[in-house]
Amino acid sequence: MATLFTLNLVTPRAIASLPDSTKGSPIKVPYLNQPWKRILSPLESRRMQVRAAPDRLSEKVEQSIKEAQEACSDDPASGECVAAWDEVEELSAAASHARDRLKDNDPLENYCQDNPETDECKTYDN
Amino acid sequence: MAVCPVYTTQSLNSTCSISTPSKTHFSSHHNHLVFYRTSKRTSKRGGSSSCVITCSAGDSQTVVIGLAADSGCGKSTFMRRLTSVFGGAAEPPKGGNPDSNTLISDMTTVICLDDYHSLDRTGRKEKGVTALDPRANDFDLMYEQVKALKSGIAVDKPIYNHVSGLLDPPELIKPPKILVIEGLHPMFDERVRDLLDFSIYLDISNEVKFAWKIQRDMAERGHSLESIKASIEARKPDFDAFIDPQKQYADAVIEVLPTQLIPDDNEGKVLRVRLIMKEGVEHFSPVYLFDEGSTISWIPCGRKLTCSYPGIKFSYGPDTYFGHEVSVLEMDGQFDRLDELIYVESHLSNLSTKFYGEVTQQMLKHADFPGSNNGTGLFQTIVGLKIRDLYEQITASKTAAPLQATKA
Repeated sequence: MATLFTLNLVTPRAIASLPDSTKGSPIKVPYLNQPWKRILSPLESRRMQVRAAPDRLSEKVEQSIKEAQEACSDDPASGECVAAWDEVEELSAAASHARDRLKDNDPLENYCQDNPETDECKTYDN
Repeated sequence: MAVCPVYTTQSLNSTCSISTPSKTHFSSHHNHLVFYRTSKRTSKRGGSSSCVITCSAGDSQTVVIGLAADSGCGKSTFMRRLTSVFGGAAEPPKGGNPDSNTLISDMTTVICLDDYHSLDRTGRKEKGVTALDPRANDFDLMYEQVKALKSGIAVDKPIYNHVSGLLDPPELIKPPKILVIEGLHPMFDERVRDLLDFSIYLDISNEVKFAWKIQRDMAERGHSLESIKASIEARKPDFDAFIDPQKQYADAVIEVLPTQLIPDDNEGKVLRVRLIMKEGVEHFSPVYLFDEGSTISWIPCGRKLTCSYPGIKFSYGPDTYFGHEVSVLEMDGQFDRLDELIYVESHLSNLSTKFYGEVTQQMLKHADFPGSNNGTGLFQTIVGLKIRDLYEQITASKTAAPLQATKA
C-alpha cells in the first residue's frame, strides 16, 4: 500500500514536467476519482512524441531521396551515389518500422503489460 | 540441480567484464557469485584487473542463432514468430534508449548487428560506403561481445540509432538463454560464424524484393517507383559482393521466388518458397514429406481437400547447394482456409512439434503478420520450432556432460 501512495505522489510531478503536455496550467489531481486519467496523460504525451517520430522520418526520407538524386546526377557509379541510396533505404526501413510500432500501440494492452494484477487486467484462465 | 561451471582466467580469453546482478529488467534465473581477484596483468580494454566467475543455475551456455537478410526482407517478422514459439513477446529494453534495436523476452534476446557499425551515417557518406560494406562494421567488437555473451558475461553493446544515424551510448546486455543476432553480416566474419549454433539466411529474389519494397515504401511521400528501383539497383553491387555469399554458410536458407502456378504473374502476391536445409548439422534434422531422402511432388488439393485458385503445390527432395548435401522442401501457392493448413501439417514429418497442430496454432496466432497465408510464414514457423528443438537438445547435452564429469 505504501508503494501505491508513493506512485500517486510522483505522477502529478511527472505530468507537470512533461514539456508538450496538453494539460495547461492547473496541476489538478483528477486521477484519484478517475483513475483512467492517470494512465492517459503520460500516454497522450508519449503518443504525441511517437507520432512525431514517423513524421520526422518521413521528412528525412523525402530529403534523402532528393539528395540521392542530386548525388547520382553527376556520376551514377560513384561511392557517394551508392551511399546516398543506401541512406534512403535505411531511412525508409526505419520509417516503416515506426509506422508498424504506431499501429501496435493499444493503451490498455500497454497498461496491462506493466500492471497485470489490476482489476482491468486480471485474466481468469481456469 | 544447479550446474556451476567455474571459468578460470585462462579460459576467458576476452576481457573480463563485471556484471552487476542487480537492476535486472527481466526475470533472471541466474544466481551470480562474483569473486574479485586482482591480478598484476591488466587487460587491454578498460584496464580492469578483476575477473568474474559466474555460477548460473540451469543453463550454462547461451545458444546463439544467426539470421542474415537484406533490409526489408522479413527479418522482423521472423523474429516475432521465433520469439513467439518460445513464449512471450519480445520488447525493447524498458527504461533504456527508446531507439534501441534490441528486443528482450524471457528466453531470448535479439541483437541487431547494425549496432556494430563502425561508421555512422555521416561517416559512411564521407567515405562513400554503404552499410553493406564490411568497412562500415566493427567485426572485432562483434566477435568479442558475442563470445562474451555466449560464455555468460554481460556486455555493454553500442546502439546505432536508425533515426538520427548516430552511434548512441552503449546499453547493458545480459546473457540470455537464446541469443539471436540478426542483420546483414552475421556469417561474414569467420570467428563469429564459428560461434553460431544455427544460422539462417533469407534469400529473396529480385522480383519479389522489388514488389515488397514497393508495398513498404509507396505510402511514403517522396518515394516513387523510380526512386525505389534506383535504390535497389545502387545497393545491388555491394549486396552481391558481401551479403549474398553468406548463404553458402547458412544451415537453413529460406528462398522466396515468384510463383510458377500463375503464368505471367507480375503481382507478386502468390509466392514460391523453398526451405533449403543442410544435412549433417548437429541437433538439426530436416523436415520431410512422406519419405526422407526421396523426391516427392505433391498437390494436396483434390478429393479430400478443395482449394481455391491457384491452389497449393509441394515438392521435396535431396539436392546440392554450394557443394553441400541439402534437403529442399518447397511450397508454391497460398493457404486460404484453416483446414488446408492443418491438412498440410498432418502430412509433413519431423516438424519438432510438441503436439499435433502446433504449426497451425502458431500460424493462426499471428494471422495478421505478413506471409501468414503462404510458405514464408509456414517455413519461418517451422524453423522456429526446429530452433526450439535444437535449444532443448543442446541444453540437455550440456547438463548431462558435467554430471558425467563429476562421476568420473
